[in-house]
Amino acid sequence: MAPGLTTADKIHAGILSIGVAGLVCAYWVAFFHSDLTMPHFVNNLTNPELIQFATVYIGFESAFPLADLFVAVTSALSAFYLIGRDAKAVLFGLIGSGALGFLALIDISFNYLHGLYAPAILLKDGGLRMEVIINISCAVGAFWSIWRFWGHPLRRAEDRYLRAPLIDAELAAGDTGHG
Amino acid sequence: MWCDVPTSLPLSCFLAALVIGVVAEAFAMRFGLWTYKSRSFLLLNILVTFGLVQGLGVGWVIGGRQVFSGIAPVLFMVGAVMGILVEGLNDYWWHSWAWSDRPFLGIERAIDKAAFIGVTWGFVPVLSVALARLAVTGDIGG
Repeated sequence: MAPGLTTADKIHAGILSIGVAGLVCAYWVAFFHSDLTMPHFVNNLTNPELIQFATVYIGFESAFPLADLFVAVTSALSAFYLIGRDAKAVLFGLIGSGALGFLALIDISFNYLHGLYAPAILLKDGGLRMEVIINISCAVGAFWSIWRFWGHPLRRAEDRYLRAPLIDAELAAGDTGHG
Repeated sequence: MWCDVPTSLPLSCFLAALVIGVVAEAFAMRFGLWTYKSRSFLLLNILVTFGLVQGLGVGWVIGGRQVFSGIAPVLFMVGAVMGILVEGLNDYWWHSWAWSDRPFLGIERAIDKAAFIGVTWGFVPVLSVALARLAVTGDIGG
């Protein structure tokens, strides 16, 4: 029998479905339809150096949709299984959150190495401030989700069923697992 | 990222999604994959979920005027997330359609079938836009 759905699970499912899958979709729709997700320096056509870097930046960002597709789908599947109190929620949750953390760290690494977190630039560019918020939310959210799934009762739900005979055998042999 | 497309594309996206819906439902009926509680749910699913939501909503609104290779992952992403949402709503609340006991591609449990079909919904807006563009302009548009 799978453990019941707690309030924390409902919040976790909401974060996975709306906060991750929904917002990732919304981000990419906005990316292709507006300048909302673009830092302001991308539109600065007066500085030749910035134009060259903007081309690199847009090229880098444009490589993300396929990877974000993977994150959005696995997160939505995790929420779907979590509401159904199924152990697969943990599998998809760890895959999706791991992928989200990986992508967040790549983005943070790129932005940091290219000086985009410099306070002087952040103060002038609202688009980059939004990028910082997205980077931090993704990294913190991903590692929180991994931490939560790692200790989730559903992670051991199927294992418990499969291991029961072994545990019984160990107990019968007097092996309690201590010292 | 933008490309020129004729104004008849919205209707074409809607119609292409309807065709995909009819084919998918006929396939499901032929192999007994799922059954509807009532015929009206079948019609609603084809008209609303396939045609309006996935074809016109996701397909045309998001990807109608974009270069296809760039927007295709986004179309699949939104279509699949919407699909998982629809399957979840049906599995947990609506119960408008039910899965047969017969295994499907090796998948036995109803919840796994719903998850699998939820992800395959992602193909609907991608195929709708591709088919609509091919039908109207003879070119997929990048």
